[in-house]
Amino acid sequence: MNRSRWLAVALLSLSLGLLSGCGSTPKGDEAGADGADGKGVGRLGGSSANLNDPSRAGSGAGGYRFDVNVEPEHRIYFDYNSALINDRSAQVLAHNAGWILAHGPKGTITIEGHCDERGTREFNLALGQQRADAAVRFLVAQGMPANRLKAVSFGKEKPLVPSHDDSAWSKNRRVEITLR
Amino acid sequence: MMEEMTMTATRQGPPARLRWTTVFLLMAGLLWGSLPAWGGVRIDISKGGLTPLPIAVPAFVNLGGDGQVATSGVMGSQIAEVVTADLERSGLFRPISRSAFLQMPDSLWKSGPQFRDWRIIGAEAVVTGAARQEGDQVVVDFFLYDVFQGALIGKGKRFTASQRNWRHVAHRVADEIYTRLTGETGYFTSRIAYVSQKGESKRLIMMDQDSANPVELTHGEHLVLTPRFSPDGDNLFHISYSTGAPRIFRMDLISGSTSQQGEYPGLNSAPAWAPDGKRMALTLSMDGNPEIYVKDVGVGQPVRLTNHAAIDTSPSWSPDGRRIVFNSDRAGSPQLYVMGAGGGEPRRITFEGNYNAAPAWSPRGDLIAFVHGGGGRFRIAVVTPEGKNMRVLTDSWMDESPTWSPNGRVILFSRQQGSRSQLYSIDLTGYNERLVPVGGDAEGSDPSWSPLIR
Repeated sequence: MNRSRWLAVALLSLSLGLLSGCGSTPKGDEAGADGADGKGVGRLGGSSANLNDPSRAGSGAGGYRFDVNVEPEHRIYFDYNSALINDRSAQVLAHNAGWILAHGPKGTITIEGHCDERGTREFNLALGQQRADAAVRFLVAQGMPANRLKAVSFGKEKPLVPSHDDSAWSKNRRVEITLR
Repeated sequence: MMEEMTMTATRQGPPARLRWTTVFLLMAGLLWGSLPAWGGVRIDISKGGLTPLPIAVPAFVNLGGDGQVATSGVMGSQIAEVVTADLERSGLFRPISRSAFLQMPDSLWKSGPQFRDWRIIGAEAVVTGAARQEGDQVVVDFFLYDVFQGALIGKGKRFTASQRNWRHVAHRVADEIYTRLTGETGYFTSRIAYVSQKGESKRLIMMDQDSANPVELTHGEHLVLTPRFSPDGDNLFHISYSTGAPRIFRMDLISGSTSQQGEYPGLNSAPAWAPDGKRMALTLSMDGNPEIYVKDVGVGQPVRLTNHAAIDTSPSWSPDGRRIVFNSDRAGSPQLYVMGAGGGEPRRITFEGNYNAAPAWSPRGDLIAFVHGGGGRFRIAVVTPEGKNMRVLTDSWMDESPTWSPNGRVILFSRQQGSRSQLYSIDLTGYNERLVPVGGDAEGSDPSWSPLIR
């Protein structure tokens, strides 16, 4: 219920143009190599990105404007076979952390890791866990209490887009911040 | 559950040595190590070259309480149909159409084969059998003959089981025929567990290897994945999201009870029974990253075997319990590695293709089946534990979850075509690919092939 409310608000936000840019998805890049763009945060959480201070939201290099009165987009996306958090995802996560700390509900927040359908069930379960764990580490680094965050992998079990092409896959390789 | 005995009273003859040019050569050539030298990656789908053995399986006669052939009854005919279907599905036999038979079942049972009648229609082996009821038991006798030698192959054999397990008796007969004519253990008395999907809901189903007798083990309340039969066939590991996160459960198939195998932070997945049935390998992320651990089934602390920042998962034990093959992307892409069952430095065994995963060590020990990804396709392949003689067996887009028949001859897997996933089997030679029906409009995935059920 909460989750659908989040989604509704996020969609509303998009429609109002408050979140310009954040709803766009990465290209269906199958390069697969970690850090192919030379930027971002490694799998191990060894953060090297310059994080935006949520209090100075709106100054991000990506032109991501953050309005503390509106929920941020609650999904981030990944390259194929990668758990790397790229710059845009880092911004989204940082803004989520800021929003949750300032306005969010109390209690546990589930960080769901998802994959596209390619590859095996078990490898994708592990990859989804890596994606969720990477997001959790990032959120903790942003000041979120670790004991409020729970990383859960769904592997390739719950695609966001149920088709079988690059466009669908790019949206299915994701982490979702959910309230349960 | 079932009794068997060797019949010596009647029609015993010296075991015949057959000159099976087809089955025997196939077995000798492919099962005992002298694999033809295919160079590198090659799809072995040349379906020619295999000549299945022509065999006649007439309806078994039904015997009355007086031991005489009864004029009514369907059991004998049903048993012969199950036997015929088993043999045909293996790809190693070509059952001859019953309409071609010259000698009728009654005469065949009473007088033995008129071998000339069977030679004429091209049968190389002929089966005779009889079924009768004893209380709530069904008793089945059968004999197998070499048509050209005009002699029995082995002794007659009797199987007894409760009426409701009559299909099991038929599978025992098929196993005997298979064993006597190929020299290998049969696999027809085995089961398949898999994940059935209808709409959004997934449930565990167990059925006989010929798709009969399906039983629903879970009922769709929670997401379930990857069933795995224990080495004795009495237990099933699987993943359930009943707690909201992936957790490993053991289902006791005899009692129906289910118990969780520990509760560790993060990912709990990829349960793999050790051959002794007492230990298990599994994947946990509690130390910060998906790694492979070993623990005792039911109790005990997990002992970590791998230590790498990459993903390590999908362990599978060698049949002697001394080695574990697993999946890791430590070299940048998912590949297969073999390590000792106590850990140690893993040795990479796959080098071709950018995605080699889901290894399943053959019960025979000589091959590892796995998912071979390359060129945007995922196919079933085999390789030796030393990383030699890789062969790609299937030719589709998205095949996964290979699991071996109990005799290490056939690989069962799931195939996604479009949005739909189904179960298929294929001989380890790459011949005889078959759809394994799961009934109705349900989808099938995540198969696990049981050991022999006796």
